Amino acid sequence: MTRSPVLGRFRHGYVAPAAILVAVLLYAPFVWTAYLSLTRYDGLEPPAWVGLDNFVKLLGDPALLTSVRNTLIWVAGTMVLPVGLGLLVAVLSYDLKGGVWYRVPFMLPYALSGAGLAMVWSPVLSHDGIANLLLGVDTAFLQEAPQNTLAMLLVWTWQQLGVNTLLFVVGLQSIPKEPIEAARLDGASGWRLFRHVIWPLMRPLTAVVVGLALVASLKTFDIVWVLTQGGPGRNSETLAVTMYKETFVASKYGYGSAVAVLLTVVTGLASYLYLRRQVR
Amino acid sequence: MYRSRLATLGVAALVLAACGGNGATTQEKKTELTLYNDKGAWTKFFDEMGVLSKQRIGLGMKPTGYTDSAQYQAFIKASFRTNVKPDLFTWQTGGMLEEIVKQKQVADTTAVWQEAIKAGDLSQDLATYYTIGGKQYCVPMNVAYWGMFYNKKLFDQHDLAPPQTWDELIKVADTLKQNGVKAFYHTSVLFSFVWFEQLLAGTDPDLYDRLSTGKAKYTDPGVVQVMERWKSMIDAGYFINPGDKTDPGDVLKNGKAAMVSFGTWFNTSMTQRDMKAGTDYGFFVIPNVNAALPKTSMIFESGPLCSLDKAADPEASMKYLKWWTSAEAQEKWATSRGDVSANPKVAIQDEALGAVTKDAGSGKYRLVNRYFEATPPPVLTAALDGFGKFVTEPDSYKEVLETIQKAADEYWSTHQ
Repeated sequence: MTRSPVLGRFRHGYVAPAAILVAVLLYAPFVWTAYLSLTRYDGLEPPAWVGLDNFVKLLGDPALLTSVRNTLIWVAGTMVLPVGLGLLVAVLSYDLKGGVWYRVPFMLPYALSGAGLAMVWSPVLSHDGIANLLLGVDTAFLQEAPQNTLAMLLVWTWQQLGVNTLLFVVGLQSIPKEPIEAARLDGASGWRLFRHVIWPLMRPLTAVVVGLALVASLKTFDIVWVLTQGGPGRNSETLAVTMYKETFVASKYGYGSAVAVLLTVVTGLASYLYLRRQVR
Repeated sequence: MYRSRLATLGVAALVLAACGGNGATTQEKKTELTLYNDKGAWTKFFDEMGVLSKQRIGLGMKPTGYTDSAQYQAFIKASFRTNVKPDLFTWQTGGMLEEIVKQKQVADTTAVWQEAIKAGDLSQDLATYYTIGGKQYCVPMNVAYWGMFYNKKLFDQHDLAPPQTWDELIKVADTLKQNGVKAFYHTSVLFSFVWFEQLLAGTDPDLYDRLSTGKAKYTDPGVVQVMERWKSMIDAGYFINPGDKTDPGDVLKNGKAAMVSFGTWFNTSMTQRDMKAGTDYGFFVIPNVNAALPKTSMIFESGPLCSLDKAADPEASMKYLKWWTSAEAQEKWATSRGDVSANPKVAIQDEALGAVTKDAGSGKYRLVNRYFEATPPPVLTAALDGFGKFVTEPDSYKEVLETIQKAADEYWSTHQ
């Protein structure tokens, strides 16, 4: 490798500011959070060292089980709905003449932020809301578990479907045409063509879409916070909501940090295991 | 090479010097103060106060209103460690005020209080809520007495009058139920504690106080009985669905529920909806459940307006707090919102609220600190979640009480 004549020996000087900025803004808070998870801290008095107490308490907390259950529903639901349906819409519309117009309605909700999205759906899903009125039923969409998590998952699908569709369409348009043509000449079509030719060719892109969806669903917060605040009781809490509530609402910064560390480890581990398998 | 490094060091030193300032402590003289608060919906009223204060004492005020109290509290706590400090900020009495006073973050307002009490602008009784270690901190941003707001048209339609006893209240609820009207509002979010505090304070206010200070348990028979009474009222069909997200002001206006229990500040919601006191709605004091109690228990809250011990311009902040307690400032603050005032000199326009304020001042009621202020934050969080669960699953009351007690045990084990 030859040195760039322009950058020369100053190349570290170009990279270092950005690297330091990332380290200060991302890794330093993480290290601080990891430290706080080993303390009892109310945001005012100096943190008091308690070792692994917060983690021991956390593992015995029944609310954690509910959070984990709900987070798993979010992960599984995200794979089936926004990702699975996104793939379906992409496959059905990508080579249709005017297919873009079928995809536009799915794309529009993506412009909304998570909180804005929840604000829009709140009057729809509340007990006195539009959904009950239109369906002529008296369902407590946001009250009973796990029904409330499933209802919020549908809202999430409404928003995320478009972007997943778009990514899959890009993937479908960028795969080489020759293997598909060859498969068609050999008599493959429909499901067989998709399953044995198109799907394997899309694997790198699918890995990205699923990886992004996995991380996003593990850290679900805004929709739940605005629609139910994790309730009633704590029955719709996800790990991210538990982290926020324990930290900022209950002022248990140490315990909340322990949830944050757990969430980071789970997200990191899940991403690593998934990507390792895909990139192998 | 050596020269180039020297030059680099020189430039870096100059940059650092420019960023660091000269290190001398200069006292800033402010003509406009920032007032951080968690009452975002009241921005208009704070703005009006800013205009008035500019005219009267030459000090303007700009509010920054939050609508999420958790975010707000996190910001204020963080501001203690940074240079982004509010000149004035709202807070909560009880344990939360004690916490920040203990950290020596709040300016001592004893002199302001003494002067205001002498001038008749504040009462000695109110000072109790602001006294920690014999000194006063902050001044009352507002005070509120809790009672029942009712839809007058619905009451008239069904020939009902404000009840004087608990039995009469239940009779009113029964009559409304027979006519297909839900009697009471309740919710599973934030204000889920309202009926718990009301029923407990109206049954055994001493137990309420003991519970707030960790001297009684949520699993004690007295508390369990209160939950059973609350459950029986839910089972009787008196309440609207707790998942209803209609604003309680609209609930009352539309007659979705005939009665909504809140503090006198709820009158602002009525004013904002052009509802007329005495014609569209009324207010009554909720009778005790236990008729044998010597005084009617009334939930009371007072929200403090504070300044920091290390404020940018302590003199200006203190001048503002002093003005805030004056009759002139309070007249405007109370009238614009249609609310009551901490200053006894202020004439309350609303007849019912005026009578309550006068009676409360004369010692007719036993004032009970609102659950929100009386309960330490970690216990409160568990309780709000618990009551939220209970109103949607009333059979869960024992489990709910045990969960809250677990949080209380944990808190009081390190805070007695």
